[in-house]
Amino acid sequence: MTGTLLNSLKRLNRQALAGFAHAWQTIALAAIILSLAISPASYRADNRVAIERQLVTGTPQNVLWFTVLCALISLVLIRIVVVTAVSYGLSRYALEMVVRVLVLELIPLTAAVFVALRCTLPDGVELAELRARGDLAELTRQGIDPVRREALPRVVAGMFLVWLLASVSCIISLLLSYFTLYGFTPWAFPGYTRVVGQVFSPAVSLILLLKTLFFSIAVSLIPMASALYDNVSAPLHARSKAARELASMVRLFSVILLIEIVSLVGNYY
Amino acid sequence: MSEPVSPAAVNPDAQTSGAADPVIAGRQLHLRAALLLLLMVALVAGAGVYVMYARGAFEVTQRLVLVTDDSEGVVVGSDLTFAGFPIGRVGRIELSPEGNARLLVDVASKDAHWLRTTSIFTLERSIVGGTRLRAFSGVLTDPPLPDGASRTLLVGDATAELPRLITTAKELIANLKTLTAADSSLDMSLANINSLTEKFKGRSGALGALLGDEKNAEKLLLALDRANSLLAKVDTLAANADRQVFGPQGVMKDAHATVIELNALLADARASLKKVDAVLIEAQAVGANAKAGTADLGALRAEIDSSLRKVDHLVNEINRKWPFARDTELRLP
Repeated sequence: MTGTLLNSLKRLNRQALAGFAHAWQTIALAAIILSLAISPASYRADNRVAIERQLVTGTPQNVLWFTVLCALISLVLIRIVVVTAVSYGLSRYALEMVVRVLVLELIPLTAAVFVALRCTLPDGVELAELRARGDLAELTRQGIDPVRREALPRVVAGMFLVWLLASVSCIISLLLSYFTLYGFTPWAFPGYTRVVGQVFSPAVSLILLLKTLFFSIAVSLIPMASALYDNVSAPLHARSKAARELASMVRLFSVILLIEIVSLVGNYY
Repeated sequence: MSEPVSPAAVNPDAQTSGAADPVIAGRQLHLRAALLLLLMVALVAGAGVYVMYARGAFEVTQRLVLVTDDSEGVVVGSDLTFAGFPIGRVGRIELSPEGNARLLVDVASKDAHWLRTTSIFTLERSIVGGTRLRAFSGVLTDPPLPDGASRTLLVGDATAELPRLITTAKELIANLKTLTAADSSLDMSLANINSLTEKFKGRSGALGALLGDEKNAEKLLLALDRANSLLAKVDTLAANADRQVFGPQGVMKDAHATVIELNALLADARASLKKVDAVLIEAQAVGANAKAGTADLGALRAEIDSSLRKVDHLVNEINRKWPFARDTELRLP
């Protein structure tokens, strides 16, 4: 009985240590990649082409589809909020609520999840395959830094895409809110601008920027870190490739959830 | 990016992402990436500039200081409205040395002309929704409010009335509870009314309820019957009296004749009085004559007095000159 308990505790200890080690590796990789991202050497010819390719490939399609979907969902949510507010006689608070719910909370989160599912998680799988095939080791043998050549372009592209999708969708949502509330007239613009100004206080704006920044970093870095540092001999990960991808996804969503909770605490407490 | 984008994944021979792409290559790739970056920078910068504009960063303002003892509900960025239009916003809230809250409001210069020296400012707290700052200008021809002016806020708080309202409602409910309790006065009154109405439904009805029991009611009814018979007798008596007073042989006829005679007597008396009046006039004339006679008597008396003095003087003269005159002179020894 005591032996079983001791074994369980030892296993738990090993898992906790492995978790901390992975978190530390991810933070270390983030530091490396961010320092590489601000280093001019990373934008020399070969690397620049790789980064540009990652930026360009698929971005227009993603922006287009995400904007369309986001506009549809925003329209439905705006309508629900406006109709509910009017039915309770609180129509003057409808716009503020729409802006807070959509622009501050939902859209950055949705953009981060969309980018993770459409881009960075597949990119992480791709990088893991390159690593498994030994391509990264080959690059190292050729004197090329695999992190700078393969991981950095994907991270930069992921971060860029999160920012682009969040910006486009926020602006589309603001426009949709205006047209849904006031119709196609320019005369409500000063009042609308004033309400938007009241919502975006300096603290709230800063929290939105930081949230989007951390979303973009988390979404771009965690799949790469999983791909570069995952130990295939770990009990869960050794089972299959799908299990490793799932573990990476869970880790990513946990971090996204944490960032969202922190931002909510910052905004409303 | 859901598709493998690395040439390494597509083509094992092409090891890295930096390898040539047959579809997008060279300047086209560079241009597209630059355009995307430009788009994102423009969007983020545009959003930032719009938010700054919305927060009034590019607005020319003048300062207005509103002082209140409690700024609860007011936040930085709250609007100051005039006639429902926002003309300013709270830029800062600070505590004065006197312990009052000072709301530093930035009023847009283009809207500042709505605020006059006589304007009043209110802070309204509603039960639902936020706190509102409102400005009212009664006389728009007054001098405009100067920059940096300080005014006291008038506070209207809907929620402040709630505790008093609740206390009053509690008292009311307690009173109602006392009023409607099983042994309350109202309940007893209702029971009494119930017993009263039961008596009303009895044989002697309301009269029995009023007089206590049926015996008294019967007595009253008997008294009423007797009063009725008495009234019938009085009626007969009145008829007789009428006949004796106003009948053909009644008192009224004699009274009428007496009155006529009295009238004649009064006429005679009036004539006699006229005669007495004439006699009195004559008496007055006699009196007047007597008065004149009395005046003449005075003069006559004066003359008699004068004549008597002369006679007295004459007698004295004769006595002195007369040989039998007495020696009245006193001689000293």
